[in-house]
Amino acid sequence: MAKARALDKRRKSIQSTRKITRTMELVASAQFRRAMERSLAASAYTERIAALVGDLARAGMKVTHPLLEERPERKSTALLVLTANRGLCGGYNSAILRIAHKRLDELKADGQTVRHMVSGNRGVSYMKYRDIPIDESFNQFDHHPLFEQVNVIAEGLLSSYLAGEIDRVEVVYTRFVSLSKQFATLETLLPLSELADAQNGEAETKKGQVDYEFLPSPESILEEVVPMAFKMKLFKCFLDAAVSEQVARRTAMKAATDNADSMISILTTTYNRARQSQITNEIIEVVSGASAMK
Amino acid sequence: MKCIVVTPEKTEVETEAAFVAIPLFDGEYGVAPLHTPMVGRLGAGELRIKIGEETESYYIEGGFVEVSNDVVSILTSRLLRKDALSLADSEEALAAAHAKKAGDPESMAEKFAALRNARARIRVARKWS
Repeated sequence: MAKARALDKRRKSIQSTRKITRTMELVASAQFRRAMERSLAASAYTERIAALVGDLARAGMKVTHPLLEERPERKSTALLVLTANRGLCGGYNSAILRIAHKRLDELKADGQTVRHMVSGNRGVSYMKYRDIPIDESFNQFDHHPLFEQVNVIAEGLLSSYLAGEIDRVEVVYTRFVSLSKQFATLETLLPLSELADAQNGEAETKKGQVDYEFLPSPESILEEVVPMAFKMKLFKCFLDAAVSEQVARRTAMKAATDNADSMISILTTTYNRARQSQITNEIIEVVSGASAMK
Repeated sequence: MKCIVVTPEKTEVETEAAFVAIPLFDGEYGVAPLHTPMVGRLGAGELRIKIGEETESYYIEGGFVEVSNDVVSILTSRLLRKDALSLADSEEALAAAHAKKAGDPESMAEKFAALRNARARIRVARKWS
């Protein structure tokens, strides 16, 4: 009975693992839905900011702002890496860290000083393992980053950018495109080139539609819109990362659960066979014993 | 007239309004239906939206307002409802703003902005309590 019992034991342990992975899958599903809702709710603001910049451009405003200008010389770059706090989410963290590491090597080869900023315990432990010094790290962002928390980081980046301590801000995060498509990517947040481009294009196509009254002046509005656009972009990165993490975790846990299922069914078959052959053996023993008595 | 208030996190208010009083950077600004298109910079203070005969009040801090096509869009970085704003918290915010160190023009501007916001918050809290 020894072999059958060992099989049964293994099956039980896989069953309890399956229970855990299944629960984690459900939790990730629920958190994904919540993160998704938040991400959608936040897009209203981003869209309106973009519309506002378009309106400013249409009002014949020449858009110039220190945050929009590409600096001729790049000496120092801030690299923000957004990873998860916990593992068990498939290739989510490793995909980000692979890109981050590649970028770090490039920047180093370029002779730039890099300010390392890492969010998430996974990224922090990776950097420690690789002996890369971390300048700033955050682990307060879980499945729902708050704007106020992101705002603090954004303010810090803005002030060091404006003071000339850093010439560029780049972020590595997982962009969420759809439920079946998320990918780790590197994006430049400062200088904010996109804002100017988008809005120059729009200005040409829809010139002179509405005459706005600006209070106090278009310049003053622009002065505040641009940093806000940057903050929103950073916030969006955090939200995307949170959504993608939950999707990745759900997929990973679903795969683990499915795997446990197939293992259980294989073990059950093997166990039943082992038990059956044992019984057959015993019967043969009894029968042969009885016939020997005759 | 439609009135939409959004914060970076979500759309807080979306309603038909009869009148909206907005705290601009230099004082209160009233918008009635069919207002001329405008874009303005917001300050800190009380936002009042009149819906029918009822008036709803919120505390908002910074951002922009855009009026066009009879739609008032308010983009603010912070919105507090009546139940979320307390006088004690606001006074704490003021004390924190006072305690801020200001060594250079930039941090000075930051400190003044924080002071302004905290004072506006206390004013609104007093009015509501």
